[in-house]
Amino acid sequence: MLKGIGVSKGYGIGRVVIATESDISYVSAENCDPAVERERFNKALEIFFDKNTKLAQKVTETVGEKEGEIITGHIVMMQDPYMRSEIEKSIDEGHCAEAAFEGVCNTFIDMFSSVDDEFTKQRAVDVKDIKTEILGILTGTETVDLSKLKKGTVVVAKELTPSMTACIDKDNVVGIITEIGSKTSHAAILARAMEIPAVLSVANATEELKSDEVVIVNGMTGEIIPNPTNEESALYLQKRLEYISEREALSRFVGLPTCTEDGIKVDLFGNIGTPEDAEKICEYDGEGIGLFRTEFLFMDRDSAPNENEQFEAYKKALLVMKGKQVIIRTLDIGGDKDIPYMGLKKEENPFLGFRAVRYCLKNTDLFCTQLRALIRASHYGNLSVMIPLVTGIEELREVKKLMKKIMQELDKEDIPYDKNIKVGVMIETPAAAIIADILAKEADFFSIGTNDLTGYTLAVDRGNANVAYLYSTFAPSVLRSIKNIIAEAKKAHIPVGMCGEAAADPMMIPLLISFGLDEFSVSATSILATRREISRWTKNKADEIAERIMSLDTEHHIVAELEKLTAN
Amino acid sequence: MVSKKLTVTNSQGFHMRPAMTFANAMGKYPCEISIKFNGSETNGKSIMNIIAACIKCGAEIEIVCDGEKEQEALNEAVKMIESGFGE
Repeated sequence: MLKGIGVSKGYGIGRVVIATESDISYVSAENCDPAVERERFNKALEIFFDKNTKLAQKVTETVGEKEGEIITGHIVMMQDPYMRSEIEKSIDEGHCAEAAFEGVCNTFIDMFSSVDDEFTKQRAVDVKDIKTEILGILTGTETVDLSKLKKGTVVVAKELTPSMTACIDKDNVVGIITEIGSKTSHAAILARAMEIPAVLSVANATEELKSDEVVIVNGMTGEIIPNPTNEESALYLQKRLEYISEREALSRFVGLPTCTEDGIKVDLFGNIGTPEDAEKICEYDGEGIGLFRTEFLFMDRDSAPNENEQFEAYKKALLVMKGKQVIIRTLDIGGDKDIPYMGLKKEENPFLGFRAVRYCLKNTDLFCTQLRALIRASHYGNLSVMIPLVTGIEELREVKKLMKKIMQELDKEDIPYDKNIKVGVMIETPAAAIIADILAKEADFFSIGTNDLTGYTLAVDRGNANVAYLYSTFAPSVLRSIKNIIAEAKKAHIPVGMCGEAAADPMMIPLLISFGLDEFSVSATSILATRREISRWTKNKADEIAERIMSLDTEHHIVAELEKLTAN
Repeated sequence: MVSKKLTVTNSQGFHMRPAMTFANAMGKYPCEISIKFNGSETNGKSIMNIIAACIKCGAEIEIVCDGEKEQEALNEAVKMIESGFGE
């Protein structure tokens, strides 16, 4: 078995076709006639533009607009007047078209690769791709044509260039394996858009796998099984069919409202980490954002992002969501999430220490910059602020006080913002759960964070193998806590959501419906499955299950019973 | 020669699409256009050089236009950047 990174989900089983790189070597000639070489180069460019304009159009139509733009990007790069003039300069010095062109390409490949930035590095792949293609045209070499493969082909290559991937006919290719590539490379993006299972970064794949042999591609785990046994083949064929039919079944839930079988409407939101993720939530038909973690903005850099940078990021998510609610959590740093420049000291008990709102209220400059960016962004959509790790009402009051001060400043500066911006509390500590009634009087909404709530309630570190068995959101203590939080929110007439993965758990869903949860916030890929789960239950049936479950006294019994009660 | 200092505010900075839009728009002007950033100067009509400059959100840059129609070019450049490339 070989192993790589699964970058596009699904299971594929088929015969290997190795896409070898075509030989584009040439004999570099000196003292060429510049007029002849210029003419050759311009002809090659013409062919390149013609082919890629058509390809971009095809990809836009069959795969998607964004994917088509990858190819358009290649065209624009080759239209660069500076690049053209550099190539012409080199030709005028007597170099042949191939050498002049390759030399300039290599300069840019080196330049892009040396920048410490993933986006810029990826552009080096684009230039390499363009280079291979145009050198192919100049030298008259046939480049790999992936558009005419037999049905049931698994394409194996060292590296799939965007233009190669774009040529792939998704009806004939059941899997993609490459030696080079990551989740963010173009090949991965295109594979996902075409729904072809793909595993990249498989060492020596082009040597280990032989042409025409049968191979299984597991896009979930990144596993590659060459020459599978009959049993393995049968198993994965079955998995493939199940996966495809599941995907189709879920696609029927796109555009439907989220409600129980008897018509009780709930909100189904998504969790995100970057403003770009908001697009993914829309793609999966999420009705809002229940948790926007803002930590990413602060990570992988040397200093905190300034107000404008944050403002733009929040605004972007709001604009993508077009007026739907977006709940943004203020900086949740500390615990296991360290940011070097924040100067957090090593603590004996980081999870009980200086983190989240505690850190923010002690570092008000940093916190107010974030709050100001949030409040300014509220003008562009439906923004709510959520405070993490609250343990007492003072914390909520203090945050509100800071926000009020910022709003007064903005009024003076005539900067618009939403005056009714909602401020809610993330309920993730036993303290907050126990005083939910107190918090509900002043919070605009609750959102239950099940991961930390479970850990803190049970006093269990999930990462400690000796006690991890105790960690379960189905423990009677945690379930009672969740029930209590929701009940207190209802009493105070404020909405209550859940933004932990438990909200997507089919065994948890009937309990949450019975308790009266208003909003389920799950990862993008869980949205449709959660909508389907919710639609399976009536309030009565959910109440019956909840009553039975809440009468049980151990986690073990609860899980066993729920498995039975929620089975199809 | 005219110039203006400003801050890049759109979240993606000079990513592919903004770089494309910018270089294409600047290509229409006869004057020379450059972006000063981080102590170096980048040809504002060249998408390749713009990508290599790796200009991110929050970057302090200066647009310099020199030659025929320099003011018009500068105005359009500033407008594009300040509007966040319509992001």
